[in-house]
Amino acid sequence: MIKKLSMSEATNQSLILLGSSHQVADLSAREKISLPAESIDDFYKGLGQINGIEEYLLLNTCNRTEIYAASNNRLSFEPIKNYFSSFKNIDPIFINKHFYKRNDSEVVSHLFEVASGIDSQMVGETEILGQVKKAYEDACRRKISGKILNRLFQKGFQAAKWVRTNTGISKGQVNLGNVICELARRIFGKVSNCRVLVIGAGDVAESAIGAFKSRGSQPITITGRTFEWCPLSRNKPNELAEKFGGFTLSFSQYKESLHLFDIILTSTTSGQSIIEFQDIKTAMEKRPSKPLFLIDASVPRNVEEKVSKIDNVFLYNMDDISEIANENLKSRMAEVEKCRGALANRAVKLWDQIRQQS
Amino acid sequence: MFLYEVRDLLWIVGGCYGLAFSIGLLKTFKINKSLFQKVPLFLIIIGFVLHTRALYLRGLDVNGCPLGNTLERVQFILWSLILAFLILRFLWRLDLLGSFCAGLSFFAGWISLFFKSLDSNYWLSPEYEKLFLNPWIELHASIAIFSYGLFSLLFVVCFMYLIQRKALLARKFNKLSSFLPPIQELEVAAMRLLTVGVCFLTISIIVGGMHWSRNPELVSVMKISVTVLLWLGYCFVYFGHCTRKLYGSKFAKTSISLFIIAVASLGFVSSKTKKSTIDSDKNLIFDDKKVINE
Repeated sequence: MIKKLSMSEATNQSLILLGSSHQVADLSAREKISLPAESIDDFYKGLGQINGIEEYLLLNTCNRTEIYAASNNRLSFEPIKNYFSSFKNIDPIFINKHFYKRNDSEVVSHLFEVASGIDSQMVGETEILGQVKKAYEDACRRKISGKILNRLFQKGFQAAKWVRTNTGISKGQVNLGNVICELARRIFGKVSNCRVLVIGAGDVAESAIGAFKSRGSQPITITGRTFEWCPLSRNKPNELAEKFGGFTLSFSQYKESLHLFDIILTSTTSGQSIIEFQDIKTAMEKRPSKPLFLIDASVPRNVEEKVSKIDNVFLYNMDDISEIANENLKSRMAEVEKCRGALANRAVKLWDQIRQQS
Repeated sequence: MFLYEVRDLLWIVGGCYGLAFSIGLLKTFKINKSLFQKVPLFLIIIGFVLHTRALYLRGLDVNGCPLGNTLERVQFILWSLILAFLILRFLWRLDLLGSFCAGLSFFAGWISLFFKSLDSNYWLSPEYEKLFLNPWIELHASIAIFSYGLFSLLFVVCFMYLIQRKALLARKFNKLSSFLPPIQELEVAAMRLLTVGVCFLTISIIVGGMHWSRNPELVSVMKISVTVLLWLGYCFVYFGHCTRKLYGSKFAKTSISLFIIAVASLGFVSSKTKKSTIDSDKNLIFDDKKVINE
């Protein structure tokens, strides 16, 4: 029978974390702390030379820089902090202010929360799990991850999967582009089968185009009142089309082509309706049985509101999209405490197991 | 042994479907337990196997396809509904459709069992020999009822379409609508079900028509009128959709209305017919008992 170790029976096994993220550092501080990709090799070389560290791993993303270290002897934060300070040429006081320290079971708990997306700026996002996996694979390739970190990260991936499967932390989209894609999915199923027209080249349009492309949509058609300049994003429609591998359509022609598209997104500063009731009615007469999804991301609005009265037309404006995103975010936040509790229990168990195995 | 008692079996079947429906709803409302993942489908399959056995046993009792009273007809429609769902489930992995089908089968199944008068023991009559004299009539009746099963699945799919559409138009997504399939896919599925259902109903009417042309005295004008009107109704919806005249919410609402009419008309299409004519002919008295459900 496995005997659990009490605190008084603690081994010398040590697991520490020194890190910084959006929780303790603002954007400018994070820019200063972040390690460029080309310096990672050098950073690892120096880190490996610190006395006492047997296993180590760097998690370096746009929002987070974390150093995990493990040893069968007691580890101290100071050498790692000093090394980072000298490597990045940052004042140690700055590090004290913008870094957090965790040790032993706290590290386990922290990694579980990071991998699950609970600690992310966009709560519940899934990209972080891929980034953690990548960091772990990199450490394995470099053979700097050993028995403790291997177990920690593999259990972290399991915990992340458990959280996503058993809680609502990742349910509902919170990014505007993703919300639009999710709505399109509710109407059409696969976004890859939809033909998309974007009028204007504003930031929302760009975000939505990115989201559609990431879901394998067909080449997107982009049009704008002017191909010279777009006041919302300073993007030109043709540049946007080129960036995302789409087509451009002359602004004078788009009204005759409305029936060819399943999704139409407007994002201009025109200040008046550029799509009117009659335009959509004419388009729907040519495709009556196919739904049409209209997103009016412009303020003031570009699509006449009574368009939504036409059968099979689904019109959403910026308020609708934002409201859905906010609702989704609220429901994710409501899940955070539930996840934290469950992960903390798992973390304590894992840390006990790691110590017993030593 | 209860596994040989048709009514006991049907109560258990209803229980399986009811449990599948309840667990399906719990899953939908995010009461997630890994145990629940496949349980509803498993319960539906168990229910379907027991349902098949119950209908088989009743079939042995009545010496034919069990369509002799309201309970049998309702149970046969529900059996067809679950069969159609199971076929569709393997093509289109959709658990929520199963929950809806299980819910409908549970409520309709138990209601039909609750009223004992709907389950008359007509086969215990001393003169009774067989429900259908002619195998073609048996084929006609079973295909017709199977098409009703398909139309009941069409009803479920259209109902899901309207819920999803309402959520999209209201811009409010509750937990139920979050798990519903896209409306375009629902409309495509509904159209496929309608196509298959209309084909089966047409075959049934052709077979029934052949019998009627030989023995017109055995079929009432009411039955023919209701059946043909229903068939015309579904054909109208089918061609309306094909020609893009009837689509979206109107298509869904019309299909739902037609199914309600179809269920309400079950009494007309299965009532004892032309009793007086049969009574006047000694040779046909037997037939009256046997062709109850043409």
